[in-house]
Amino acid sequence: MKAEARNAAAAVVLLALCAVPFLAGKFTVYLAMRIMLLGIFAVGYNLLLGQTGLLSFGHGAFYAAGAYGLGFFGLHVSGNPLFGVAAGVAAAILLAILVGYLCVRHTEIYFAMLTLAFGMMVFSLIWNAREITGGDDGLIGIMRSPVSFFGLLEIPIGTDRQFYFFILFFFALSVWAVHRIRQSPFGLALAGIRENARRSEFAGVPVRRYRLAVFVLSGAFAGLAGSLEALLESNARPFMAHWTHSAEPVLVSLLGGLSSLTGPLVGSAIFIAMREIIQRFTENWMLWFGIVLLVIILGFRGGVVGTLSAFFRKAAAPGEG
Amino acid sequence: MGEPLLTTEKLSNHFGMVCTARDLDLSFEQGVLTSIIGPNGAGKSTLINLLTGHLPVQAGKIRFQGREITRLPIHKRVRLGICRSFQVVNVFPELTVAQNVMIPVLARTGRAWNPIRSLSRETAVTRETEVFLEKVGLQGERDTPATALSHGDLRLLEVGVALAAAPTLLFLDEPTAGMNPVERVRLLDNIRELACEGRTTFVVVEHDMDVVFSLSGRIIVLHRGEVLCDGTPAQVRADAKVREVYLGDDVSDLFRYEEE
Repeated sequence: MKAEARNAAAAVVLLALCAVPFLAGKFTVYLAMRIMLLGIFAVGYNLLLGQTGLLSFGHGAFYAAGAYGLGFFGLHVSGNPLFGVAAGVAAAILLAILVGYLCVRHTEIYFAMLTLAFGMMVFSLIWNAREITGGDDGLIGIMRSPVSFFGLLEIPIGTDRQFYFFILFFFALSVWAVHRIRQSPFGLALAGIRENARRSEFAGVPVRRYRLAVFVLSGAFAGLAGSLEALLESNARPFMAHWTHSAEPVLVSLLGGLSSLTGPLVGSAIFIAMREIIQRFTENWMLWFGIVLLVIILGFRGGVVGTLSAFFRKAAAPGEG
Repeated sequence: MGEPLLTTEKLSNHFGMVCTARDLDLSFEQGVLTSIIGPNGAGKSTLINLLTGHLPVQAGKIRFQGREITRLPIHKRVRLGICRSFQVVNVFPELTVAQNVMIPVLARTGRAWNPIRSLSRETAVTRETEVFLEKVGLQGERDTPATALSHGDLRLLEVGVALAAAPTLLFLDEPTAGMNPVERVRLLDNIRELACEGRTTFVVVEHDMDVVFSLSGRIIVLHRGEVLCDGTPAQVRADAKVREVYLGDDVSDLFRYEEE
């Protein structure tokens, strides 16, 4: 796609997202916020999976680190949500450095299993440290205080409509940042590692350090999404670190398509919408979601975005195939 | 002559009972195009793998420009100036030709860590990438994904990616394998030309004896992990032991046969 067309499309989507709280009902606004949270989580995660080719099943731990980090900061230090989010992201980064350092020396199945193990360790730590984390009740009573710039300017985010724009700001920032990373020299080095790690070393790229860097980076986005969810739901729950939650960015990336920026975003929207619709008819929504995922993986390898863009490319270039 | 570029000291390697390098004491001089030949299993690829860090060294030492590099990881050796190409094409398949060559350029110039700047603004890198594409004659395929290249072009790209790391010492593992004669001549001309420029010293593993004898200033014959003969093409051609190993004098035919 041409850069101008892409920028125009991004502007239209951004405008549409700005219009949502004024046009749609309360519940739709809530769903849109959930989609953006999952979108931040997945678009950052896909730097690891789609761009670098590393499959992690432990990013729920960084999501939880973000949520609990914001929670503790809010309860004990300051209620300013901007500082809270920064604290949540910092907590996620620290945890990701620790976990990543131990995981990136392995690849493929060993990497996936190690991240799964560390993720579940974090889950059981949160679950069992009841005095500190609230155990299975979660960390409750997280407040949405106004965003304050050193007392000079205060922006309230108490209502859902106000908070919607708080999330939209971070969503837009995340998508823009990931877009820049994908176009950058760093992004190309990551793609090289995905395509051929051994050759990357012979190109002079310190592969392990790059893997750690992108692991921590994707963990930071997970932490951002987690801290925002803690503000949205007023709590942090141990199941944020559970492997079933870690699997969500994997599923939505596959659903939307691994190889594009928009894939995980479209996947997030489909995932949340489908869950909402299917859950009205049946409790076992995962069964039906599983069937949809099966069809997409078996029939449309590039995911929704990959398949559509291949279709339009073919339509634009007649005479081929 | 100055100090040799790279020296080995009692370099050894075993795969189980099979010895692929036995107490090798070799040195590579700057500017001397060296070929390594020998029958299959002689230890040619093993030697390259050991020198470039692909295989961990079991015993012995490697020095590069006076500095010991025996245990140095691959990417650090590349930064010092040792690079290689592979016998089986080993590039970045889903990336374009230009991107393939750009990765080593970025890594070498220390720009690969930048996560925000757009690649399209790295004009110096793009220009340098163009130079390497021109050197291997692939400037016309700039935006083609590597998977879509013909076999010959892939081999050229393989060499191009190695060259783009701007190595002082470059090991080419059968660079012309599977090429048609036209492509082969083109690549060999390129290598000869680059060798004359003098910035890169080439060490080539080759099966084609015509290539070896026309190209090299020095030939090392390996046999079962040991140096059978080491000298100028004329010395090697006249060597009795070499003839013995290859059972007669029709050397080039036998090599072609073993290449399968």
